[in-house]
Amino acid sequence: MSAPSSGRALHGHPSALPGAETTATVLGWLTTVDHKRIGILYGVTGFAFFLLGGLEALLIRLQLAVPHNTVVSAHAFNALFTMHGTTMIFLAIMPFNAAFFNYMVPLLIGARDVAFPRLNALSYWIFLAGGLLLNASLLAGTPPDVGWFGYANLTSKHYAPGPGVDFWILSLQILGVSSVIAAINFIVTILNMRAPGMTMMRMPVFVWMTLVVQFLIALAFPPITVGLIFLLFDRFFGTRFYDVAAGADLHLWQHLFWIFGHPEVYILILPAFGIVSEVLPTFAKKPLFGAPVVIYSGVLIGFFGFGVWSHHMFATGMGPVADSAFSIATMLIAIPTGVKIFNWLATLWGGTIRTTTALHFAVGLVGLFTIGGLSGIMHASPPVDLQQTDSYFVVAHLHYVLIGGSLFGLFAGAYYWWPKMTGRLLGERLGRLQFWVIFAGFNLAFFPQHYLGALGMPRRIYTYPADVGWTAGNFASTVGAFGIGVGVLLFIVNAWQTLRRGAPAPADPWDGRTLEWRTSSPPPAHDFDAIPPVYGRDSFWREKYGPRRGAPATESHAPLHVPAPSHWPIMVALGMGIAAVGALTHVSFVVVGVLWTVWSLFRLALEHHRAQAHADQTGGLGLDHRKMAMWVFLGSECFFFGTLVATYLAYKGRSVVGPAPHEILNIPVTTISTFDLLMSSLLMVLALAAVQRGDNRQARLWLLGTAVFGLIFLGFQAYEFTEFVHQGFTMQRNLFSSTFFVLTGLHGTHVAIGVLWLLSLWVLARRGRLGVGDAVKVEIAGLYWHFVDVVWIAIFTLVYLIP
Amino acid sequence: MRAARRPGFHGALAVTLLLGGCAWDAPMSTVVPRSDFARDILHVYGIVTWVAVGIALVVGGALAWVIVRFRDRPGAPRLPAQTRGHTLLEISWTIAPALVLLVIAIPTIHVIFRTQAAPPRDALEITVRGHQWWWEFRYPTFEVVTANELHVPAGRPVALTLQGPDVIHSFWVPQLGGKRDVVPGRLNRLTFTADTPGEYRGQCAEFCGVSHAHMGMRVIVDAPDAFARWVAAQKAESAELAGLAAEGKAIFAASACVGCHTIRGVSSGALGPDLTTFGSRHTLAAGLLPTTVENVTAWLKNPPALKPGAKMPALGLTDDQARAVATYLIGLK
Amino acid sequence: MSDEPRGGEHATVGTYVRVALVLTVVTALEVGVIYVRRLAPIVVPLLLAMSAAKFALVALFFMHLRYESRVLTFLFVGPLILASGLAVALMTLTGAFLVFGR
Repeated sequence: MSAPSSGRALHGHPSALPGAETTATVLGWLTTVDHKRIGILYGVTGFAFFLLGGLEALLIRLQLAVPHNTVVSAHAFNALFTMHGTTMIFLAIMPFNAAFFNYMVPLLIGARDVAFPRLNALSYWIFLAGGLLLNASLLAGTPPDVGWFGYANLTSKHYAPGPGVDFWILSLQILGVSSVIAAINFIVTILNMRAPGMTMMRMPVFVWMTLVVQFLIALAFPPITVGLIFLLFDRFFGTRFYDVAAGADLHLWQHLFWIFGHPEVYILILPAFGIVSEVLPTFAKKPLFGAPVVIYSGVLIGFFGFGVWSHHMFATGMGPVADSAFSIATMLIAIPTGVKIFNWLATLWGGTIRTTTALHFAVGLVGLFTIGGLSGIMHASPPVDLQQTDSYFVVAHLHYVLIGGSLFGLFAGAYYWWPKMTGRLLGERLGRLQFWVIFAGFNLAFFPQHYLGALGMPRRIYTYPADVGWTAGNFASTVGAFGIGVGVLLFIVNAWQTLRRGAPAPADPWDGRTLEWRTSSPPPAHDFDAIPPVYGRDSFWREKYGPRRGAPATESHAPLHVPAPSHWPIMVALGMGIAAVGALTHVSFVVVGVLWTVWSLFRLALEHHRAQAHADQTGGLGLDHRKMAMWVFLGSECFFFGTLVATYLAYKGRSVVGPAPHEILNIPVTTISTFDLLMSSLLMVLALAAVQRGDNRQARLWLLGTAVFGLIFLGFQAYEFTEFVHQGFTMQRNLFSSTFFVLTGLHGTHVAIGVLWLLSLWVLARRGRLGVGDAVKVEIAGLYWHFVDVVWIAIFTLVYLIP
Repeated sequence: MRAARRPGFHGALAVTLLLGGCAWDAPMSTVVPRSDFARDILHVYGIVTWVAVGIALVVGGALAWVIVRFRDRPGAPRLPAQTRGHTLLEISWTIAPALVLLVIAIPTIHVIFRTQAAPPRDALEITVRGHQWWWEFRYPTFEVVTANELHVPAGRPVALTLQGPDVIHSFWVPQLGGKRDVVPGRLNRLTFTADTPGEYRGQCAEFCGVSHAHMGMRVIVDAPDAFARWVAAQKAESAELAGLAAEGKAIFAASACVGCHTIRGVSSGALGPDLTTFGSRHTLAAGLLPTTVENVTAWLKNPPALKPGAKMPALGLTDDQARAVATYLIGLK
Repeated sequence: MSDEPRGGEHATVGTYVRVALVLTVVTALEVGVIYVRRLAPIVVPLLLAMSAAKFALVALFFMHLRYESRVLTFLFVGPLILASGLAVALMTLTGAFLVFGR
């Protein structure tokens, strides 16, 4: 298993199992790097968590079915809605989306896999670790019970003393890592691995929506990562980020959470929009109406999605100017969303509509999301929202967009792509029954909740009195919820039956429009025998029926490379899990976990380094995959450090006790360390130049030099920190100390990681294993190093110099 | 400063939308306005509701019609016209929603600024402090402190200042207006003028821990003279006690109660609600139960059993002792 | 093969050394400026401008963006601008700029 290989021999014919690798063993699944298998892993795992989240929902609804009910205690109820929300968002919808990203995106763009197959597997296993960790809190009897958005300071050690919140923080952080790695992977894949002739505007809309979602993930997760780091440090180390007595602003948590949280809802819905944009044209037998407009709308929604977050905070007292600004921004976002809906309607208009189950769910989404979107527009008006927020009205809204929107879209995708993934068709009659049961159950469960909200029922209450008029609505809602449950069961029955005895599916069961229908159902391990020709948007349709735009690029017959399986991804995830468990139990496990993770990452990287086939990773844009990935990562890091710096500046001057920055920061000494870091960047570019011209001796010299300069910087930082602690200026001292130590400490951690990286490259060079062909690996280390330098430039000015 | 009254509009809204106007007159209803703040909100609420319902009907209707009209049936074209788009249509259905949103945006901004304007100088200042899981109300002008039941005069602007010593709560009395969070470390404001005397229900609307569901309140809007009488009663000397009530007072004064509760002239604890005029309140434990001897007795014997996580412990009182204290407390008017 | 930048342009070692020199000088100026009392009213914009210049030099030359495909510039500068905007918004919403005025 550990012997590196450049790929595996190909077996040209598809076998009965999806993903069609020859090893259908447990080990095969544990070490797979095939996007199709990883997609299935996400789908099945997500479904298991979905059932768990659904059970939690049914318990919630049972408790609320009648007033003063005693099905569960108040404590249990509060844990139930916390777990339900967190599970459905992070462990159900997002993995379902990931399942489709993984399986379908390479097929849709005519690629054979994603840009980084082993990182792809890594994302899955890290996701699994995070999901298991969150649910381990149930086994430990201490689930989090602070709501899925965990507002500070209810989440402080004082008000939530048990480990529940710690489970929640750690699993969310782990899940975030998984998502961001996958996001970088897919961005590079989509930008760099499209089949020749597939320009951006010829990409299927599902791929466009995926691309927008990946950018949202890469940029929106860092702020919540930072917010959670603050909470973690407050709880574990006594810092003051959310300590009101120390001068903290409790709105900070809400801002950081919702700067993530709002893009997150677009992360949840845009893939469903993408699926609908594929399903409707296929079953109406005409192209997506206004495809470019639908694409631009998606991009605009993603971009403006970063500008509306405080519409979740209209009741918090931000003042009329902020309220108005976010209100208008939120209303503006409704426009591109509405435009999509109209374009979908126009797609159906004039078509010849085959009412398959997939179409039922897609049409269901259009109708139900319209309702959810309209209640959202109501919330966009702060005066109205002051009555609706934190009531069942908003619970109705969010379920209309998340179930009526995301889940219905995912079911549409399931019925649509099931034949491609499994080689069998899902039963249509049972499918249509399932649709109507879920549709009816869903509307019965959630439409009455608009009324409950209008009648003043707050959310997150475990019981209610009998004399407020909420009884009938709650009872109806509970019945409807069980209807949804029945619908989900019907899907399981359908899937189970057809996997064994379903009608076998041809390559193109729906007379499809896009490239995935061009290969067998399921596809072979290498996806396409030859990279498909691209005739325009809806390329496969044009191939079948015309018109064709120009001659396609010559079919590529380059040797097929199927990446070898690897067990290092699961090892890395295991290490992270151990470290997280250690944080909850004993620090020795943290040490073991971190070492295990670092070791496994090294082995994963070496595996890549040794595989000669990986020498050339240049894609369609003429850019190396790894270089592009690093730049995307640095974009994400802009958000990470931007949030840290913004918090530092926001809290500046708010400390209740001293010292203040100018009383303790040593500018002359820090100037020297700044100069040292700047010079290290010079050494780094010299190292790269040396590698690029094959000068191994100079390469070793400058690589080591850069690492040494980095160590000197860390030495200065260690000196500074120890001096401060001796003077009584510890992390816990005041707001300034908290923000200062966390900001510069995290920066120092980045430097330390860079030093390790450079030393590894130096070791490789010493062993003669860093040749001219490896220059790009030194280049991306350099990009990381320079970025860390650039962040220090900002920190030096904003923290040390600015008065 | 008052919203334009549009009773016909609201009446039509209630009947048309709601299939039974009476059902909306529930105690916590958000569409039964009893203050200027609530009316201003309902004005915008009506507009957005009409817009939303209208659009839903149009889009839903179009969707249903399209599916039926263009479904695949004998005679339908095997390959329909492959229309790709229509620029004018795209422009139209981009501009149309924008115009509709303008209809919502303008009154929205107007009402935001009107309802968040600084309170007039003759406003009655009240400080609201949200605790886990009860409400404290202080009237600086009168030096009155009470809990869980707020009295305000009808027809006079009331300026609430919201503070929090523990976690985030949210002050919400739907018939008197929208909600506003109580955020520790910040001072939030809520201003309204109630117009109709009566009793109104409110509840905390930001999840604040185990008994968030039990953090209710009552707001009594008094006619001006009734309000003046209420203020006077709050400050009046307590009457001489006899019998069971006197017994209860003795037990109270000798128990741990005095560490947490204030009863003017008897104790000065500051961790729990002020009980000086407990008997005048219609409910106990933040709207949990009506104030009767039985309920108060049950509460005194074991508060966490009735209100999970309540910070008030069971004090080990016997049935008789509890009844005595209950009688005493109910007599505190 | 190894990465050749588009257009055949390449920074020379001389360019790198010159950039390093400029970075040193600007850093020295930055530190110096905070001690000059007469510049106190404009010290903040001055420092921001100088550090922005250093940031740009490192990005354009050391990180090679000047010679790279526009795609990479977009992938980095887009999030950079968005992050800066969000940082400013966050600071405004939490009242940080009231502090700056003191």
